[in-house]
Amino acid sequence: MEMFQNPGLKKMIFSIQYHQPSTWEASLIEVQPVKTESNKTGKTSGKSRKQVLNPRTTKMTVDQDWMSVYPAAAPFKPSAVPLPIRMGYPVEKGVPMAKDGNLELIKIPNFLHLTPVAIKKHCGVLKDFCTEWPKALDSDEKCEKHFPIEIETSSYVSAGPSLYNPKARTVTLKIRLSKLNLNDHAKKKFIRLVGERYCKNTDLLTITTDRCPLQRQNYDYTMYLLTVLYHESWKTEDWEKKKTEADMEEYIWEKSRSEKNILKTLLQIKASEKTAEVTQEDLLCSEEVENYKKSVVALKNEGDTKNNLSHYKEAVKKLLKLI
Amino acid sequence: MMLRKVIRLISKSHKLDPGRLLHVNIRASQSIAVGLDAQIPGEKSRAISRTQESDPAKHEEQHLSQHYNIPLEEVKTIFPHGFPPRFGMQVKTFNEACLMVREPALELLHYLKNTNFANPAIRYVLYGEKGTGKTLTLCHAVHFCAKQDWLILHVPDAHSWMKNCPDLLQSTYNKERYDQPVKASTWLKNFKTSNEQFLNQIKIQQKYIWNKRDSIEEGRPLGEVVEQGLTRVRNASDAVGIVMKELKRQSSSGSFRLLVAVDGVNALWGKTTLKKEDKSLVAAEELTLVHNMKKMLSNDWHGGAIVMSLSQTGSLFKPRVAYLPQDLLGKEGFDDLDPFVPIQVYNYTPKEFESCIQYYLENRWLQHEKAHTEEGKKELLFLSNSNPWQLERLCAYL
Repeated sequence: MEMFQNPGLKKMIFSIQYHQPSTWEASLIEVQPVKTESNKTGKTSGKSRKQVLNPRTTKMTVDQDWMSVYPAAAPFKPSAVPLPIRMGYPVEKGVPMAKDGNLELIKIPNFLHLTPVAIKKHCGVLKDFCTEWPKALDSDEKCEKHFPIEIETSSYVSAGPSLYNPKARTVTLKIRLSKLNLNDHAKKKFIRLVGERYCKNTDLLTITTDRCPLQRQNYDYTMYLLTVLYHESWKTEDWEKKKTEADMEEYIWEKSRSEKNILKTLLQIKASEKTAEVTQEDLLCSEEVENYKKSVVALKNEGDTKNNLSHYKEAVKKLLKLI
Repeated sequence: MMLRKVIRLISKSHKLDPGRLLHVNIRASQSIAVGLDAQIPGEKSRAISRTQESDPAKHEEQHLSQHYNIPLEEVKTIFPHGFPPRFGMQVKTFNEACLMVREPALELLHYLKNTNFANPAIRYVLYGEKGTGKTLTLCHAVHFCAKQDWLILHVPDAHSWMKNCPDLLQSTYNKERYDQPVKASTWLKNFKTSNEQFLNQIKIQQKYIWNKRDSIEEGRPLGEVVEQGLTRVRNASDAVGIVMKELKRQSSSGSFRLLVAVDGVNALWGKTTLKKEDKSLVAAEELTLVHNMKKMLSNDWHGGAIVMSLSQTGSLFKPRVAYLPQDLLGKEGFDDLDPFVPIQVYNYTPKEFESCIQYYLENRWLQHEKAHTEEGKKELLFLSNSNPWQLERLCAYL
């Protein structure tokens, strides 16, 4: 009070100077109390201003325990992260914004709690709860051979209003169809039943379920689905006999239009040449017809390519005896 | 001085056999065409772009990439419907019809020359990217067969049967099908012009009843059926059907040889844009003309050949880049035409390109100063990518 009754007293401003450590080597910096200049004279000057502490970064050593700074997933705290990060779109003739009060850095997810050291420590703690990996299964092929079915489940632990995470229900089953004992018809039917879930390139069937409330129930459901698909695909229904050419997955030459055409043509040629009676089987077994058959199947299954078309041309020329 | 030399050359050439390929003759004709004052561009660049051999039967490998002339009277009889529109314009402008002798055409002619007429008719399908010359190759083959006195059944563009037909009639013969009187009668007229000499020789072998009053007896010449179709336009489509049936039956007997040439054959298995009264689309199969044509294209007759070309231009509902047989014909078309010999028609080879440019230069079609220079030619080659159709369109502006 007395101080301010004396108008002649200079108001003291202490300037703030703290060195930002430019490298990881941070030196201990002296703490200096900060006082802001109060514009108003009089009553407010008596109250002491709230002391703003120096940021934590100034007190960090190089060999500190980072896990204690970020023990769990936490938003980015500029005062706790000693990195001089800049993020943001720069104004003209400027640089990106610094980290203090930078909303962009807070918005994005950070993995500061998952440094390799932290993960190693986590794993070390979890190891007590794990069993050892069997030594015999040291390669992927052996794993697949003995355990063809792969089940993927996720468990979530979090402290929140509810312990139950809805994503924990999903169960994914993956199996290669070659491991299942399916014949030709069964395999085609299986693929048709399963539809989108089968990938032709990797021969992998993926079934994902989450229709039951519990993970256990979903797992039972996927195993049930697999069993049902397997047994159904082995059965042949009555209406399957009505499968037309349009339903066929690939082109089969036997009993097709192409076969009929070529047989008719060849028989006519033979008739005109007045050679001895040749039966259909003989015609079908001849080499030229085999070549023709291969080229037509290639054309139909793979589409028109230069190769296919030239094979077809050669085959037809040989068959029709064109020079 | 130049003029006297040229005259002497011409007089010399007249003494020699006109049928032989003469460098001198060509030089003379070239110089006259180009103009005596114009500089003939260097000797080496004057690749021979013309040949005197106008009979396709004698076209051999040495005539490759050269243009041969079809006399205009033959054009009127063999191609009464005319050529494809742009080529037709070119013919009119230059006052001559010149086709280039190309590799696919020679291959096709080779097969046609060696046809065994006792065997079922072989089907040849010309395919290729847009504008590579399939239609003109077909015309070349048609000219060959006409010169060899075959009976020509030529459909210039099957796509035109699938669209733009305001007068669709329900067929009297078969209630399910639809007639196209105008298109059928145009076709009959052209057929008559091109095959005049055969129409009286061929006699029909069955009695056909048009309606209650009209009928045509067995043994009458085919010409009468055609006449009936032309006069009674309502019956034109049925007349076409009768003509095709009779020709198919009788070609096997060996009295004449039959060439069936169809351009744009993929139209027969495609969609139409014609609508019935209840606004539903007509399927291709429901048109009488198409139905009869498909019967013609099957290979259960002998004594001739079937040459077809696929065409995306003018096709309905097919993407622009489609040119391969299965893409354009579809599954049904392929099955119907199987087995066929596919022949691919390519863009111009460098030699053919050179020859085409020379032809245009000779006829003074290219007026641009840079057209005969090397850079000009390179530029044209690059812009057109050796595609004949593109090149023709580019040159039209020059």
